[in-house]
Amino acid sequence: MKKNNLDEDSLLIHRAQKGDTGAFNFLMTKYYPRVYASLFAFTKSKEDSEDLAQQTFIKVWKKIDSFRGDSAFFTWVYRIAINLAKNHVVSSNYKKDKINISSDAIEMDFASHANPETDLMHSQSLNNVRSFINSLPENLRTAFTLRESDGLSYEEISLITDTPIGTVRSRIFRARESVLEFMSQESTNEK
Amino acid sequence: MKNNDINEKLSALYDGELDESEINSVLDTLSSDKSLQKKLSNYALMSSALNINEGNIQPIKSKNRLNPNFWLSNGITAAASVLLTIAFVNFDTINFSRLGPDNEAANRLSLAINSKEAKDIASLSQENLVDHVLKVINNPEFMSSNNSDIDLRNVGFNINGQTSSQYIKGNESFRLRLEKKNLGINKVRYWKHGNKMIYLVPLADGRVLTLYGNLNSESAIKIAQVIDQ
Repeated sequence: MKKNNLDEDSLLIHRAQKGDTGAFNFLMTKYYPRVYASLFAFTKSKEDSEDLAQQTFIKVWKKIDSFRGDSAFFTWVYRIAINLAKNHVVSSNYKKDKINISSDAIEMDFASHANPETDLMHSQSLNNVRSFINSLPENLRTAFTLRESDGLSYEEISLITDTPIGTVRSRIFRARESVLEFMSQESTNEK
Repeated sequence: MKNNDINEKLSALYDGELDESEINSVLDTLSSDKSLQKKLSNYALMSSALNINEGNIQPIKSKNRLNPNFWLSNGITAAASVLLTIAFVNFDTINFSRLGPDNEAANRLSLAINSKEAKDIASLSQENLVDHVLKVINNPEFMSSNNSDIDLRNVGFNINGQTSSQYIKGNESFRLRLEKKNLGINKVRYWKHGNKMIYLVPLADGRVLTLYGNLNSESAIKIAQVIDQ
């Protein structure tokens, strides 16, 4: 069951193309933070990034039938996101919005919800997580980083580490659980 | 043990490594299991964090932050969990009068995501709501299917003689629909879709009013008040 970057989402995409909202929700959840981060890098604006990320996934849903798998799914989503961002920036509405919204409204917008992505961009938090990952047992760390950072398939990791695929799957899962637990502790400590 | 099993399957599905025969069970469980939704969202945050471009890392200070807990915040979970994240806002917490009649400003505000509402959206009622909104967006007939020609002339809207079930006043035009079920909502919500708006308004008698079209928030509220009387 070899997977690669181009087809790792193919089963879910195929389901979403048939109208399976559960599969689409899964994909959206998986890629929302990356889309948001990409848009934030482009717009440098929290609210514009939220706005555009939402518009991106509306467009993805409406156009998902046209995705043929010529590129990785995220690449396709990314193109949609950045095109929307470019259009948004040059549109007169964008400028008009900026002028028309009162400072009260913006403040209320900010206050009405917490945005994990903005917090996520605190470099100290990132450094803490990365340090924790480096402290994981070697077998967990290797499987996890080969998957997360290098994007290798379970089969490829299995070959590299000379470990059964089932063990690779288990190690990646255990590493994720450990990192989530660390995040939770960090979060508790921040309170 | 069973929990670990589904969690490990989620991790494998996240990596695109789950057997096709097992995907349905994970997606089914995921649709109703908030903790699993949260876990998926946190997996995504983790990936994003680990692959983020250092050049883009910058601290952001937002005013009046309500929730400094970033890793376990539900914001992204719910924001990403359903298509309803198109945009929604809670009329109870946003005072539109402060914005005046400016439709652009109102639309802009509609792009806000409220974390409490996000949690609600992530509740079991989400599927009904998602289905409903998708029908509104995708099926033009849906909005005409139970129109009862409600008289809205006292708020300035006339029924379009050529296109029945469409109400018009100046630049504003919309279709409406009344649901006997409440779709699990107890507060007004609206979404922006392209250049149109979708308003869902729970009425006092338990029905839900759906308005879809080029309609500003003030008109939507007036219409809902008329129908609610």
